[in-house]
Parts: sequence; structure tokens; C-alpha cells
Amino acid sequence: MEKLLARRSVRLVALAVFAVVLVVAPLVSSPFINYQLALIAVFAVALLGVNIVMGYTGQVSLGQSAFLGLGAYIAAYGVKNGWPLLLVLVLCAVLPAAVGMLVALAAARLRGLALAMITIALPIIGIPLARRFSDFTGGSGGATVSFMKAPDWSGLANDQWRYYVVLVIAVVAFLLARNLVRGRVGRAFAIVKENEAVALAMGVSPYRYKVLAFTIASLLGGVAGFSYLVVVQFTSPETLSFFTSINLVAAMVIGGSASIAGTILGAIYFVVVPVLAGAVNSARTALISGAILLAVLFLLPRGLASLPRRVRQLSARKSHGRTGATAPHNSPDGASSAAPPEIPEIPAANEERQAR
Amino acid sequence: MRNFHKTTRVTGAVAVLGISALLVTGCTRADTSGTGTGASAGAAEASPGITDDSLSLGISSPLSGPTAGPGSCSVAGLYTYLEAKNAAGGFEFGDGKTRTVKLTYLDDVYDPAKAVSNFRQLEGDGIFAYVGALGTPTNAAVMPVANEEKVPQVLLVTGATTFSKDQKTNPWTFGLLPTYFDEGAAFGKLLADAGKAVTVATLAQNDDYGKDYLAGFQSAIEGSDVKVVGSATYEPSDTTLDSQVTELAATKADTLLSAVSVTPLQVGVLTRAQDIGWLPRIFLPSNTSTPATVIEPGQGTAYPALYSTSLTKVPVSPAFADDEEVKAYNAAFEKYGSKITTTYTPHCAWSYAEGAILEQAFKGMTDPTRDSFMTALHSITGFHAPLLLDGITVDTTATDKPAIQGIQLVQYNGKGYAPASKY
Repeated sequence: MEKLLARRSVRLVALAVFAVVLVVAPLVSSPFINYQLALIAVFAVALLGVNIVMGYTGQVSLGQSAFLGLGAYIAAYGVKNGWPLLLVLVLCAVLPAAVGMLVALAAARLRGLALAMITIALPIIGIPLARRFSDFTGGSGGATVSFMKAPDWSGLANDQWRYYVVLVIAVVAFLLARNLVRGRVGRAFAIVKENEAVALAMGVSPYRYKVLAFTIASLLGGVAGFSYLVVVQFTSPETLSFFTSINLVAAMVIGGSASIAGTILGAIYFVVVPVLAGAVNSARTALISGAILLAVLFLLPRGLASLPRRVRQLSARKSHGRTGATAPHNSPDGASSAAPPEIPEIPAANEERQAR
Repeated sequence: MRNFHKTTRVTGAVAVLGISALLVTGCTRADTSGTGTGASAGAAEASPGITDDSLSLGISSPLSGPTAGPGSCSVAGLYTYLEAKNAAGGFEFGDGKTRTVKLTYLDDVYDPAKAVSNFRQLEGDGIFAYVGALGTPTNAAVMPVANEEKVPQVLLVTGATTFSKDQKTNPWTFGLLPTYFDEGAAFGKLLADAGKAVTVATLAQNDDYGKDYLAGFQSAIEGSDVKVVGSATYEPSDTTLDSQVTELAATKADTLLSAVSVTPLQVGVLTRAQDIGWLPRIFLPSNTSTPATVIEPGQGTAYPALYSTSLTKVPVSPAFADDEEVKAYNAAFEKYGSKITTTYTPHCAWSYAEGAILEQAFKGMTDPTRDSFMTALHSITGFHAPLLLDGITVDTTATDKPAIQGIQLVQYNGKGYAPASKY
């Protein structure tokens, strides 16, 4: 009991320090660093959506970039027409959620690869649509907007102000999502992910919860789109790019699926690694990013969020070896069986198992 | 209960710490920005990125991903020119000093958000100007930031009209290349000048680029005997254009305007049309007309004539092997540019010429400031940059046109391109 409380206060302090860092960082950093921090906040929200569908509910979604793009386009259109920003933000959440729900009503009847194919179609259809409806989207040249300038009373520079705006959006999104996945709905997601027959037997409709998960993911994608426009001030068909979706899925697996902290780590990975790779050699960024991705997957198959546990495991194995006891084969799984189930049903998960 | 008090106390302490940190650091940023404006207030005070013996430039282009070929070349050509000149002693500036010019290049994977990020990074590193970046969406995303921060974003490697047509609104942005509209118009003019009835089939990308291309073509053939008998479009994500080619072949048009910007698709067009026995004269856009990557794999020699447009001599073509400028380029590229890419696309030659335009601007710079640089850059007329074909000159004085004007129509002669005078 004493130990638990101690740990709890440690966590609280850690959280408080994290919050202070988040608030103070932009004041002492260059516009470039602030832009990176803001982008992390943007993609953390999009990644949170991916994690709710894939990590928590165990469904495949390769279409998150389509909702990101949709949100950004709605925001751009609203800003250009001078709509109130709060209304724009609400629309950025509601419209993608509605689209996501419509798609999910049909798609959630499928599973596995069939579902993956449907979700892949979203960015693939979205890009030509964005090019075609140039009155709404600005065509392939994209849409440039200039808004969300720092108000005079704040005494902040634009990059700082925009960072705070997207940070607030991200914090609200994370708090709501955290409560969601820890509550009744989260338990329903987990059971749908584990075994749909069991879920049905318990009175949980897998279909309804899958649709719900997709709707929430699309909503978060749309909100991330709004944040994206706040930070980048530009959107084009490239925003919907299928590669963004794939990279988001990779970042989710790397951060740690079904984990809030993992989502944040994944977003940091998503934004920072290309920058680091560019610092090493700009002509070889793809190669270096790929190598880092493989390294993380081999060393931490459960993602960056599992780093503390992994370290404990390794040190435990070491002491086992010293005492001469042969570690049972299932010890890594056994160690984590107390934690909520975490392996998403995607090809990457199979690789994880093989890697182990 | 005791623990509860403890945690609230801890949170309180952290909060106080945070607020005081906020107050302290809040001043820091304000101070730096204050000195920044103070510095630029002095008339001849140097802009960031320039000292008495050096100047730093930045570029962000796609160096990985599907557009990596042209993107790498847009860096490699410029890098080659700058490094060769640095090795030869450096650049002479209008203020009498000689400086070496350093180029920092970053990869944006053709992603607008990444391009803005790179721009911010380069700006933070203290570049003097952002030059020669490739890509329409990426440059469009950077444009408002560059103009807000008053950083030159110039000689951009893109054929979109956006970057040069309104230099009053965006005084810090300036394109390098003739637009797609101009290119389409050049083809149209050749046909219209033929003075006889010609039927044309068009195949264009279903977006602004394709539309610009066709609009230029249409404007040039208006009122002539040239008639468009069939049109088809495609998406860049298409894997084959066989059905479009078959549809257009049914028109039996004399000429095909194949404004396809994706290399493998253009090769597919060339092979498909001859497979089904349709042998029109073909117009290829400048970005998909390279003999080694398009015409040879597409067996283009089967057609009665292949036209394209060109701005520059082609360094990899034997036709220009004895040209002095080409020799200098090839030697320098071998030494510097090949570090970045070894595959030639026209962008290598364009960005090499861009280096010479920059040199010209440096010569006119009387103060070590960005303002002086922009003034000098916009005062170049009738300049012949190396590798540019005869008749294509640099004129930077128009406020609604890119730096390079004029397009040379060329015809494939079995080995390389030679100037085409008539249809």
C-alpha cells in the first residue's frame, strides 16, 4: 500500500514536470523547435485515433490520413470564408466523424485484410477528389491560409501561440480518450479485440463498438486536421497521402499499441526521426529511418512504451542466468499477461511474435 | 490523508516552479526578438547568414520517395555550381568582397508540412536565402512563411504559375522555370504555324498542371486550322494508360500531345500506341522526354517525329559532348554533384544554371542584406547562364514572370535532341 502510494506520487510529480516542460518549452526554443513540438501535438491526436481503432479495438485502419486531410480542408474552407474558429473546429470534428461512421457502418462488417482494403481506399479515393473539387480544395496547388496569429495581449510570437492552441486541443483529446479507454467503453473495446464471440455472450455488440471506434478515430483525425492547418497554414492533396497513413500505423506500433504514453512516444518518433535522419545525411533519410524502425521493432517489439518493462525483463533474465535457472520459454509473455492485452491483429503483430 | 496533503504540496510546488519559470523565460524570448528588430533597423547592417567571407543558402527538396530523382537533381546541380566556384576562389559580390557560398540541403519527401519544417530549420540555422527548392505544393506551403519572415525564397524549380505571377503580394518569392502554360503554348504555336489542317489528340494529367498545359496549347491554336479531335486524362496514381491510348487511337489523329508527367506512364504510352498500329507525331513535355529513360525504353524511333521542349543543353547527350559549358559541367558534377545523385534529369542542368543566376545577383549586391539581394536578383537582363540553349535568356525584371524565359522546341534525331524549326 505504502509502495503504491509512493509510486502514485512519483507518477504525479513526473506528470507535473512533463506539464511544466510542455508549457515552458516554446518560450525558450527557436521557431523551428516550436514547429516540431506543435507537429508532435498534431500527429499525436491523429495517432490517438489510430490507436483507438487498432491498438484498443484490434481493427485495421489504414485510412487515417484521409480524415486528417478532410479536417484540414474543412478548416481551410471555413477560415477562408471567415467562419468563427470555434465553429470551424466543431465542424472539423463532426464532419469527419460522420464520414467515418458512414464508412464504418459498411466496413465494420468485414474483418482483417478485407477491412484493411476498405480503409486503404479512403486516401486513394480522397486524393483525386481533393484535386477535382478545386473550388472547395484549391486543387493540386493546395490551399494557403493565414490565421491563428498571436493576439497582442498574449505577448507571444505566432509560433508560440499556435503551439499552445494545438497543445490545448491535444491535451483535451488525450484526457477524453484516456477516460474513454479506461471506462466501460474501453473494456468493451478490449473484449471485442480479444474475442467477438465472448463479447456477444457478454451482451457487447462487436459491430456497434467497432463502428464507435472508427467514428472516434475519424473524429480525432479531423481534429488533428484542424491542428495541422493551424501549424502548417497550408493543405494540399499530399496531406491525404497514403504514406502518411502507413507511417502513422508504423509510429503507433513503435510507440506502443493500446497505450496512451505509447501514442505520445509514437508521435515524437513520427516527427523527430525524419529530422534526425536528415541531420545525419539528407540524401539517405529513407534508409536511416527504415533502419531505426527495424531496430526499434527488434529490440522493443511492444514499442517504446515497453522500454521500462523490457529493461526489467532483461535484468531479470540476467540474474536468472547467473543462478543457473533456465528461463521458461514463455517468460516474456508471462511477464506481461497481467497487463491488458496489447497485440493488435495486424501483420506487424505476427512479425512481433516471430521476432520474439 | 497525510499522503494526500503531500501530493497537493508537491503539485503546488511544481506549479509555483512552473509559473516562475514561465515569467523568467517569457522575458527571454521577447528580449531576443527585440535585439533582432534593432539589428535590422540599421541600414547597412548585415542580414543573417552573411559574413565578410561567407554566405549560406538553404534548400529543401524531395531526396527520397517517388519524386527523389528530380528532387536530388535540383540540389545536385546547384551544389555542383556553388562548390566548383568556391574551389575556384569564391564568389565576387557587389560590395567588393569575395565570399564562399555554402549550401545546406534537406529532404522533404514532397511533403508540405516537412518542407515548412525544413524551412524553419534552415532559418534557425541562419541561412541568408532559400533557393531552388523543387515542388509545387511544398513551395506553396513555404511561401507565406518566407514572406512573413522576409526570407528570399527564390529561383524555385517548378512550372506552376503561382510563384511568379504576383510578386507584389509575395515580394520574397520568385520562380525559375517557364510555366507549363508556356510549354503548352510553344507546342500549339508550332502546329498553328504549320499552316495546314492538323488533327490533335491530347492526353493530360487530371489536375492544375494538366489544365495549365492544355490551356497554353489551346490559346496558341485558336483561330488556326489545328483541331483537337480527342482528349483524355489520367491520374498520376494510374498504373497504365492503355485504355486512354486505345481511345485516342480511334480518332486517328496526326499528332498526340502526351502531357504525361510520370516517366513509366509516358513509356507505356509510347509502347502502347505503336503496338496497336497508331503512329502519330508526338509531343513530349520537358520533364518526361529524356532519351535514356523514356524514348529508348518506349522505342520512340518508331514514330515519324518526337518533339519536346528544352531549356538546356543535355550534358549526357553525345550531341553536346564537345561543348565547353557541358565539359565544365560534367567535370564539376563528377567531382561534387555525384555525391548527391548519379542519375541525370533535366533538373540537374536547370539548377546548375540557377547557380550562375545567383552569382549574377551576388555581383549586383551592394549591401550584405536580403533587400539588396532581392533588388540585384530582379535586375538581371539578357544574361546567358551556362548550359542554357541559344536564344533562351534570363530576364528577371518582369514582376509577373519567372527568371528564365523562352522555350526551345526540339526534335529527337535518333541520338538526342536538335532544335526543331517547323512541323
